[in-house]
Amino acid sequence: MLLLAPTLVSLTRAELADAVRARFGSELRRLGVFTQLAQVGAQACLEACATGGRLGVLLATEHGSLTATRAALDGGLRRGEPVMPSTFIATQTSLAGALLARRSQDVARAACVFLEAQDWPWLLRIARSWLAECERVAVGCVHEAAQGEAHRSHWCIFVRQAAAPAIHCEPAGAGAAATTSDWIARVAAWRDAPDGPLELRGNQQAWRFTSRQSSA
Amino acid sequence: MSSAFVRATALASALGPGLDAASGRLFGQPVPPQTLIGWPYRAIPVEDTDWRRRAQTIALAVAADLRGRAGLPAWRWAGLPCLLGSSSFSIGASEGEDPALERPSDFCRALAQCFGAGGPVIAMSTACTSGLSALHAALDMVREGSFSDVLVLGVEFSNRLTVAGFAGLELLSRTCARPCDRERDGMVLGEALGAVLVSSAPAEWRVSALAAGLDGASVTGPAPGGEAMAATMRSAMSQARWRPGTVDLIKLQAAGSPLSDLAEARAVRALFKPAPRLVSLKGAIGHTLGASGPAELALLLGALARGRVPPTWGYEVHDEEIGLAPSGGAAGELRRVLFNVSGFGGSVMTLALERSG
Repeated sequence: MLLLAPTLVSLTRAELADAVRARFGSELRRLGVFTQLAQVGAQACLEACATGGRLGVLLATEHGSLTATRAALDGGLRRGEPVMPSTFIATQTSLAGALLARRSQDVARAACVFLEAQDWPWLLRIARSWLAECERVAVGCVHEAAQGEAHRSHWCIFVRQAAAPAIHCEPAGAGAAATTSDWIARVAAWRDAPDGPLELRGNQQAWRFTSRQSSA
Repeated sequence: MSSAFVRATALASALGPGLDAASGRLFGQPVPPQTLIGWPYRAIPVEDTDWRRRAQTIALAVAADLRGRAGLPAWRWAGLPCLLGSSSFSIGASEGEDPALERPSDFCRALAQCFGAGGPVIAMSTACTSGLSALHAALDMVREGSFSDVLVLGVEFSNRLTVAGFAGLELLSRTCARPCDRERDGMVLGEALGAVLVSSAPAEWRVSALAAGLDGASVTGPAPGGEAMAATMRSAMSQARWRPGTVDLIKLQAAGSPLSDLAEARAVRALFKPAPRLVSLKGAIGHTLGASGPAELALLLGALARGRVPPTWGYEVHDEEIGLAPSGGAAGELRRVLFNVSGFGGSVMTLALERSG
């Protein structure tokens, strides 16, 4: 399995709207902060590598759509009123695939996975399974931050084969501890200055990342 | 790649906290739903004002039922992975005395502990297909040989946010769900905890295929022609190497929604001439959203174990435009079942089940 285009998007709350407009040319109406973050990161990653074919979208998060959910809970619900459609839709974490499909991506599968910090290696195992049905799987780790912190939307793409330079991924026996929040960033940093294979672990699983040239 | 089988199932739903009783009630006289914030709602008949304690009571009952049916030694449960699908997780707890938003993974780990499943826990959300997405990942794990048994849970417990949200979208009926019926006017939501133990060990029902697709027409409903559902059913049959004429029964997604039921009917009619027998379970237990895959799978297999196809609660008047007529009765030599689930975000899934042996 090969990894392409590790893409790191980090935005403050104030920067998100501008980033959305810069990426898509307009606001993403009706979507909550979480979904907008996922869209910005996924689109940046897809544009960073020239891949095509059936796409899987695997989105990981620890907390999900915090702002929208709190808004829905604090709104008319307390008075027993219907929740506004756009508010309710904004609470849904699993819309990334459908929204990318509406942007002309050939999306075959999509899921949102709620993971604990150490469980990120499951993303690679799931992506590897999905590659039996998809030509490429976009994997994202999205974190909607609390006030004052930066939002994070880190993405990469897994493929079976690639013409361009790529990072080869395989299960390993051991590695340095990494988390759902930082493993893509660590792969990206290593790619810029590789010094032998990168081995990362989470929970009881580890993965080895090598440049394709060195593994050939 | 190994085959995967349904080793055991269990269920808590509006038909009761146990699968055997629920299967029996499904063949009885339909009963009207209860209400939640003024809307019809199919609630699990377990009373407790404390949300978390009630959830735990339900989970422990389902766990005891499942463990009794599965026949796995205790040491196997200690390392068992648990894949869980839900759309609301523990949001109901945040509506009351406990306003903090819990991490979904924490809620899922607590549920897995109720079952004694001590292996990795993965929580998936793909809206109404969440439970089948979890089953899909479990099948991959069993077929790859990573694990011989995997616990799959689909869970949707009572909460006002979901009901209010669907009400805001004007997707709910004011009375009851009437799947495929001419008078259908919306869905009725429900709560459930469905449990499925997937195994590499041969059992009565083999999972021949599980196909997934995505309908990008709208985030809240299918394309009117049902093209994505047709493609997903076709893919499941292709993977299973079935011809349409060999399918004995389709468990429909149909929830009583005017447009979504019609889109699915168009998909069925496009592939099957004539259509096989049909059933929808959402009239009886409500649309249990992320739980619906495991919950309806447990209920359907429980009903078929009685040698009968269950009736479709709420279906009475034929709709010419739908052009399909769900029907219960003796199952006969029923062997092959397609099982449709679809939901928000365009996720569409079809499970192909075959009676083995």
